Amino acid sequence: MTKPISSKNLPDEAVSRFKEALGAGNFSTDPVFCDSYAMQPFHKTDPGCWIPRPMAVALPGSTEDVQAVVKICIQYGLRYKAHSTGWGAHGGPGYDNVVQIDLRRMNNIVEWDEKNRYVVVEPYVNCAELQAEAMKRGYNIHIHGAGSVCSPLANATSHCGMGWTGISTSTSSRNILGVEWVLPSGEVLKLGTCGSSGRWFSADGPGPGLRGIMRGWAGADGGLGVFTKMSMKLFHWAGPKETRVGGRLLDLEVEKPDNFRIAVCAFPEAKAYADALLKIGEAEIGFLQCKNPVSLLFSGGMPRLLRKIHAMPNTKKLLDAFRYQFQFMIAATSELDYQYQNQCLNKIVDDHGGILLDTPAALNSITYWSFVRVSVPPVIFRMGGNFFSAFGGDEALDNCMEQARIGEEIKRQFIARNACFDDLADGAWSLIYENGLFGHNEELYAFDHRDPEMGRQLDDFAKACTQATVEHNLGGGGFAFFKGGEVHDLLGPSMSNYHIWQRRIKKALDPDDLSDSKYYISSD
Amino acid sequence: MKNETKIKAAFIAAVGSDHFHENPDKLSGYAHGGAFVAGQTPLCVVEPGNSDQVAEVVRAAVETGANLIPCSSGPPKSQRACSVPAEIPSVVVDLGKMDRITRINRRNKVAIIEPGVCFGALQAESKKLGMKALLPLLPRASKSVVASYLEREPITIPKFHWDMTDPMLCVETVFGTGDTFRTGGAAGPGSLEEQWKSGASQKNPMGPAQTDLVRVIQGAQGTMGIVTWSSVKLEVLPRIRKGYFITSTQIWPLIDLAYAMTQLRLGDELFLLNAQALAGIVEKDTAKIEGLAENLAPWILFYCVAGYEVLPELRVRQQEQDIAALANNLGLKAVRNLDGADGDDIARLIDLPCQEPHWKDRLKGAHAEIFFLTTMDCVSVFLEAMGELADAHGYPAKELGVYVQPVQQGRNCHLEFVLPFDPEDADEVGRAEDLFEKAGKIMLEKGAFFSRPYGPWAEQAYALCPDTVAAIKTVKDILDPHNVFNQGRLCL
Amino acid sequence: MALEEYRRDMEGCSRCSSCKWVPVSQIKSHRFSQACPSISRYNFHGFAGSGKLMLGLSLLDKRIEMNDSVADLVYKCTLCGACDANCKVYRDDIDIVEVIEEIRAACVENGQFFAEHQMMIDDLKRENNVFGERKEARGDWARGLGLKDANSQKVEVLFHAGCRFSYDEDLLDVIRGAATLILDAGVELGIAGKAESCCGGRAFGMGFRGQAKNFAEDMAGRVKSSGAQVLLTPCADCYGAFQYAYQRMGVDLGVRVMHISEFLGGLAAEGRLLFKNRVDRKITYHDPCHLGRRSEPYSGPWKGNKLLRHSSCKRDGRKGVYDAPREILRSIPGIQLVEMERIREWSWCCGAGGGVWEADEELSEFSARERIEEALASGADALATSCPWCERNLRDAAESMGARMEIFDVTELVTRSVEGE
Repeated sequence: MTKPISSKNLPDEAVSRFKEALGAGNFSTDPVFCDSYAMQPFHKTDPGCWIPRPMAVALPGSTEDVQAVVKICIQYGLRYKAHSTGWGAHGGPGYDNVVQIDLRRMNNIVEWDEKNRYVVVEPYVNCAELQAEAMKRGYNIHIHGAGSVCSPLANATSHCGMGWTGISTSTSSRNILGVEWVLPSGEVLKLGTCGSSGRWFSADGPGPGLRGIMRGWAGADGGLGVFTKMSMKLFHWAGPKETRVGGRLLDLEVEKPDNFRIAVCAFPEAKAYADALLKIGEAEIGFLQCKNPVSLLFSGGMPRLLRKIHAMPNTKKLLDAFRYQFQFMIAATSELDYQYQNQCLNKIVDDHGGILLDTPAALNSITYWSFVRVSVPPVIFRMGGNFFSAFGGDEALDNCMEQARIGEEIKRQFIARNACFDDLADGAWSLIYENGLFGHNEELYAFDHRDPEMGRQLDDFAKACTQATVEHNLGGGGFAFFKGGEVHDLLGPSMSNYHIWQRRIKKALDPDDLSDSKYYISSD
Repeated sequence: MKNETKIKAAFIAAVGSDHFHENPDKLSGYAHGGAFVAGQTPLCVVEPGNSDQVAEVVRAAVETGANLIPCSSGPPKSQRACSVPAEIPSVVVDLGKMDRITRINRRNKVAIIEPGVCFGALQAESKKLGMKALLPLLPRASKSVVASYLEREPITIPKFHWDMTDPMLCVETVFGTGDTFRTGGAAGPGSLEEQWKSGASQKNPMGPAQTDLVRVIQGAQGTMGIVTWSSVKLEVLPRIRKGYFITSTQIWPLIDLAYAMTQLRLGDELFLLNAQALAGIVEKDTAKIEGLAENLAPWILFYCVAGYEVLPELRVRQQEQDIAALANNLGLKAVRNLDGADGDDIARLIDLPCQEPHWKDRLKGAHAEIFFLTTMDCVSVFLEAMGELADAHGYPAKELGVYVQPVQQGRNCHLEFVLPFDPEDADEVGRAEDLFEKAGKIMLEKGAFFSRPYGPWAEQAYALCPDTVAAIKTVKDILDPHNVFNQGRLCL
Repeated sequence: MALEEYRRDMEGCSRCSSCKWVPVSQIKSHRFSQACPSISRYNFHGFAGSGKLMLGLSLLDKRIEMNDSVADLVYKCTLCGACDANCKVYRDDIDIVEVIEEIRAACVENGQFFAEHQMMIDDLKRENNVFGERKEARGDWARGLGLKDANSQKVEVLFHAGCRFSYDEDLLDVIRGAATLILDAGVELGIAGKAESCCGGRAFGMGFRGQAKNFAEDMAGRVKSSGAQVLLTPCADCYGAFQYAYQRMGVDLGVRVMHISEFLGGLAAEGRLLFKNRVDRKITYHDPCHLGRRSEPYSGPWKGNKLLRHSSCKRDGRKGVYDAPREILRSIPGIQLVEMERIREWSWCCGAGGGVWEADEELSEFSARERIEEALASGADALATSCPWCERNLRDAAESMGARMEIFDVTELVTRSVEGE
């Protein structure tokens, strides 16, 4: 039984000031209210599901409100941590006695510039809402891998944003065209054009690109102030402006447009898979490319069957033969474009000894819309109740393939000791961005944090993967950064001593370390 | 004097006397740039040969308090000339001797180059492996690739310009502490060689970790660090490539077409020019330039379509037809040749650096340039303003060159006005200078974003964003705590 | 089942926030994407389904004490089940609604509930209805219709009007019209009249398990003694109680339970109900929570690891009554049915359920107004529903908003078509 957390009492004066700034209904120190911000089992490597309970929760409704909260925190020496949709341990307090800033009241779509293909959003707009509105205007957005229930602003400004359509829509952090940022000082910094002319079309300059201190491959996860508005890119949408959708996920009824093709491309071995994918990138085809491991596909639709497959060696072998496969979607903008993309895909797959399986008509509804909307990701919880991702450091595709190979080796050891669910060890979720500029790979690890033994071993898996990253030069730290703290001291020396510079940035912007740095870096 | 001696000694120690220069003739070459740019004569010039020597140079500056002026490939020639010393005592760090292409890799379409590598050399090496480098529009032959990308000069293929960092990927830089730092995937783990062995190719431009310092180095005009090498994107050399023109008496239909093409990522190279600019690119002789400009339609959209290694013919046909359909909707028609300009010739021309004289100088012998970011739908506002300003200053508006380069895949554009003038004619020089100064202010008032605030634009641009200024100063204090880099630039 | 039995459900929440929105596949706009009235109004995470899982776990782990704040979080919730249905798009092993019900039961055990709820329970105890109206007047609505007295005669179909229809004078014509339709179709219909009592569903939802069970057993006895083969109700609230809450309490009614929309649909299919007259309206249909997602039968607690629970044993909202009322509306000449964005198992709640109508007028009105806004956005000029609680609350909201939106029960429209406007 977890003992109650002793919470530092906020001075009455501070409470009054918070309430005065936000309205009494938008601030609470009540432990009952605060405890609902203290459970974050996802991406939490230590056992159990509780994280530190915030000492208070603030619900700002505007940038001015956020500034007020930050300034009150500074005045009273209070740590604070902001989150948007707030999924994952990195969204909650890293320490005791933190003021949780929940940005859910800031949920406006501030501005559409359809001509120049960007939209300005507040933190609590989620990807599905934004995509629905974008599609009405003939556009799509990049939706990151966690799925469309999450905030694009939080992802792009503060986390990491690989997504299923990365081949044609890049990754979240490279899609930022402007940011409004409440610095740890409480002052507002607007990056790029929005800071000079009020327009939101470019984020770098005048002079240096300050996005470089705002985030890197990963974001600061709340450790460097609060982001209150963001301009993000819109991409062409080749589908209809409105889609009639029946059902919710596995029961979806949606008509796949004729200009779309969905297929699985499978290859006999890793080299052919990578070679073909690089050629696909060079040919500039594809709207979506993503390797969802067979286990993930099973866990979505038939999690119970997946468990039984382990007793079916032949079936297991059959599935294993599909280890080097990815899902691919073409969204053509003209008849000839459809011809070009189709013929390219056919040829490239054929040239590399692969097979091309068009999605059966019966599955078109599910694959088409759940891929486009990126509504699938939470199904991974069906397998074990929780999951974790390791590696993730983006690099050239070959390096990502190496991450997958080594990740599988490591995971097999944990499967053997029942530390995680047997997903056939094919846990690599991977994709390419920007027509193959670079790749991404994550080693998915399904486990049940409610099982104490599994919960205990997760950290060993995370550490083993981080260790392998260093030993085998596997593309930067990836998700290891979300452990924060000591991981920087492990990775930093082998990565250009980035931790020293990152710490200096933190210290310069937040000398008192009030913006909760558990998942970023402390200032000393 | 004593101090100067001490400085020189420290730098000789850093690079060796063979790479140390104090010949007044050589030094004077670094004291000025293109039009209206004059600065201080440096105390000396050092030419480090490798990253370690660059680090030594920085340490020498820290020790002596010298102002380091990073310069990629010889004396500055452009009007931007951020490598012209603004403060003294200055030491120019000319990286021209660091001109190695360390690695060029077809599989990952990437090269690692030192700052002294110019576009011609990179293009030639890329071509051997079936690739092409991404160039800004007709850079000078001496233009460093790394410097160009650090300056965020726009490339001519908007579909490859996903983000403002493109085509730069990772860099190695020496900060003002003398520490060497690598960004993006290059940061590690592992040495470059070890990374290559594990399949990495320094292709991830983000990071390391929760920083993205390449962005801070870019656009910093040498105030934050000295880049000693960079990995840069290369693209597949087209098997088939065709250049097309679409002309119009008005710019707006071409703008609309550029929007439509960039939205669908159609076309490779894609930019708009006015007749004067195109004539300057095609012809070298003043009279011929004037003649061609007279004959051309006022506005020209130039684009290439290309087929790569897989189904190139089909690809080209698709691009041609889809673009034609878009053009047709706007009442426009693409042609391969204009009277006096051949599309394929232009395509070949823009694959390489500009032949001398530089196209912007061909009409009058010299030029000033005003450029900034805006969105394409606002271009006409600036054109109108510039026309009025030219008239007011007695500057012949027809001589103005205009170049519109969609960037970030068409979400905004680089708009450039080229103001040719005769450097031997004091009246013309004065008129152009007046116009240049006034135009900068007016454009800013009308919403121009001087993302690359050179010279007088810096003060004007930074006046609009004091919070940005404060943040830049904070960053400067981190990366260059002893203030050894390029003092007096930007808002610093 | 006690709260402890749901520990794994509560610990299992990944905090993905799917409980706050309609299923992302179904999000059609930014404006109407929210699923949960409670978090939409009060914003703190504790008001979301996920937050209530955490609340329950926090209580179990003794991180917090049972107090007014717990009651505040758990009762400022319409218990509409949207969170539960949306969570189950992804999860097999979490039953949010059951957890909320268990927390409420624990609240009642500890005396932590709203005074208004106690008043309702007192009314129930005293008058057998949730309004405290005279129990003798319960059957007055049927005066003169010629319905059989199920207390003294065997009936084929026992008609249970429910508290709202029995006492809400504004809805008198609706209930009388509905009964008349059935009688005219030749069905032998009986009511218990003043012996009819509340179904107990509201008491169950508020956590008053003992009182709820008393009413449920009373109901079961009345059904049995009536000899009815079918228990028919025009009230979605009652329907949901019969289908779900009774099974949770282990009370078996032993008859087929039908909602009036299903019943009328059957009559129409048999040709016993003819939609003769046009009803020229552009109508949108509001799915009552207790006829939809919350009416799914409860098949008993899952023994063992819920990760292995079969989908057919998972109450995910899909098995509610959604098509019957729509079929009727589509069958009525002149009616153009337009859908709102949030329908079926991802429908937005009217705000009248879960004890909120009784104790939190603000949330109740907020929820109803939101639904009226959505109906207006659909382009409809009228809204039809199949629940008197929804009808009451939506009518009040439309009136207070000054919205040009007529509110109907589906049976009213049937009456107009059968009999003429």
